[in-house]
Amino acid sequence: MTMRLTPLALSVVTVVAWGLILGVLSGRAELVIVVLPLLLGLARVGRTDAPRRWSLARALSAERVFEGERVTVSVTVTADERVPLLELFEPLPPTLRLVSGENRALFTLAPGGSVEWRYEVECVRRGRVGLGTVHARHWDRAGLEASETSVTLPGQLRVYPRPLRLRRLPGPRRMQAFVGNYVAPSVGEGIEPGDIREFAAGDRVRHVNWRASLRFRRLFVTQYHQERNADVVLMLDTLTEAGAAPATTLDASVRAAAALITGYLGRKDRVGLIEYCGPFRWVRPSSGRAHQERLFEALLRADVMFSYVTQEVGLVPRRVLPPQALVVAISPLLDPRFEKALVDLAARGFDLVVLSPSPIPLVRPTVRPSARGDLACRLWALERRARADALLRAGITIVDWDPAEPLEAALAQLTPARRRRAAR
Amino acid sequence: MRRLAALLALVLVGAPLLIAPSTAVAALGTAAMLLCGLGIVVATPVLVAGIVLALGEYTLALWLAGGPPNLGSAALLGIVLVVLLETADFGRRAHRAAIGPGLLLAQLRAWTVFAGVTGTGALAVSAAASVASATIRLPWAPAIAAVGAAVTLVGVALALSGRQAPPRD
Repeated sequence: MTMRLTPLALSVVTVVAWGLILGVLSGRAELVIVVLPLLLGLARVGRTDAPRRWSLARALSAERVFEGERVTVSVTVTADERVPLLELFEPLPPTLRLVSGENRALFTLAPGGSVEWRYEVECVRRGRVGLGTVHARHWDRAGLEASETSVTLPGQLRVYPRPLRLRRLPGPRRMQAFVGNYVAPSVGEGIEPGDIREFAAGDRVRHVNWRASLRFRRLFVTQYHQERNADVVLMLDTLTEAGAAPATTLDASVRAAAALITGYLGRKDRVGLIEYCGPFRWVRPSSGRAHQERLFEALLRADVMFSYVTQEVGLVPRRVLPPQALVVAISPLLDPRFEKALVDLAARGFDLVVLSPSPIPLVRPTVRPSARGDLACRLWALERRARADALLRAGITIVDWDPAEPLEAALAQLTPARRRRAAR
Repeated sequence: MRRLAALLALVLVGAPLLIAPSTAVAALGTAAMLLCGLGIVVATPVLVAGIVLALGEYTLALWLAGGPPNLGSAALLGIVLVVLLETADFGRRAHRAAIGPGLLLAQLRAWTVFAGVTGTGALAVSAAASVASATIRLPWAPAIAAVGAAVTLVGVALALSGRQAPPRD
């Protein structure tokens, strides 16, 4: 690491030259004396060596956070020798926003000295964020010379999608074999009373319905509905996105998926995830906290990836897309390939719900307000409605969701819609 | 730090007005001050342009005032000039950066020591030059001064060219 001249040194030389020229032209000795301190100052060039024995360490207040949360970054600089002036700069990726402090710092260090530098960032978008390299520049005291180096420090931040509040979730029509929170139509062990039938050998005495038995003078037992769980598969459309980060349709979809994952896993359901980006990427349905972590990790990776490959839904294995599963497809319905996949799923008899984050309110702020823009958005909304109607005719329930509105309000429309469809 | 630089620029631009308070000097001084102010905020090359203009203003003031050379005040102005350049550059570097403990104090101490040393040096050189000019009368003095200036500049350029090219900001 060698010290090099800075633009300031050239500025000093320029001023010296002008001073001498003016002095010679005017024949005044004062101008030569004026530039004399500058000439003496240049004598300092070459006297400072770049310090070699210094080190950096970085610590993050949290390594796993949700979108919108803040993280404090602490960088500790330790030097074994004197460091006259050290400038550190840590470039921030676009997914992080500086909230307090500065991501550039200037220090002076005595031999054996140590100093800590802190700043706070807000995580604006999900993803794995690498805070990798710290750029360092050593200056001499005058600023006439500098040397540069980069230090790579370990430090990765996992920013998970912000969970949206959900109290009511779309209920599945079909249950699975494991114990859960849904009242199944089948009778067996449970707490929800179902049918009454005559006592048979092997029935438990505590299931005897005494009121009915006394009335009919024969023993009757109460049967209970089983409480079962369900398989829920979330299908995420990553074929395309609209809007500006961190408020694209994919960001909204991922947040909705995170909320649904949290909600369904909280109900002991098995939840799977299929990412449709032309080819499929999936996480098999399962339950539990560890599985939630797995799904959230998959959501971190979810991104639009251009591909010419378009796989059919039939290629997804049964263990990933169980036939009895409730499929919640989350898509802005911008790509016809995803609509084709939805029609295919509906034709295969899957219990299918489509949650469609509308791209219009997300794209609107990114374009200049104009009458033409208004008209285009209205036409776009009509086109979306026509598409939704076409899917509705194919037997698919669609929920249109404005990402600026709460997800819960959008899903509230779903319950009556599904009830009407079930009645038909 | 930018305030200190602005104050030094004001001293640099205001000093010639004390020597020869005229409209031409004031006009040049205003232009120089504007450029210096802009340079302190924006970039060092603009500041250099302002300083060069301030040197022009100083030359004009000396020419208008005439009289014997005042080398002491010239040495002080030189110190103001060098500290102005360094403080403005440091201010630009420190702008929107976290400043470590004791850094400003260390910088001020370094500039004070440097100003003291260079001031003493400049005064010593000017005193020596005064004594020499009183005892030795050189023929073709302007030509010798021009050659001396050229030699100095070439010497500085040669000394600095040994170093590598400056990094880009």
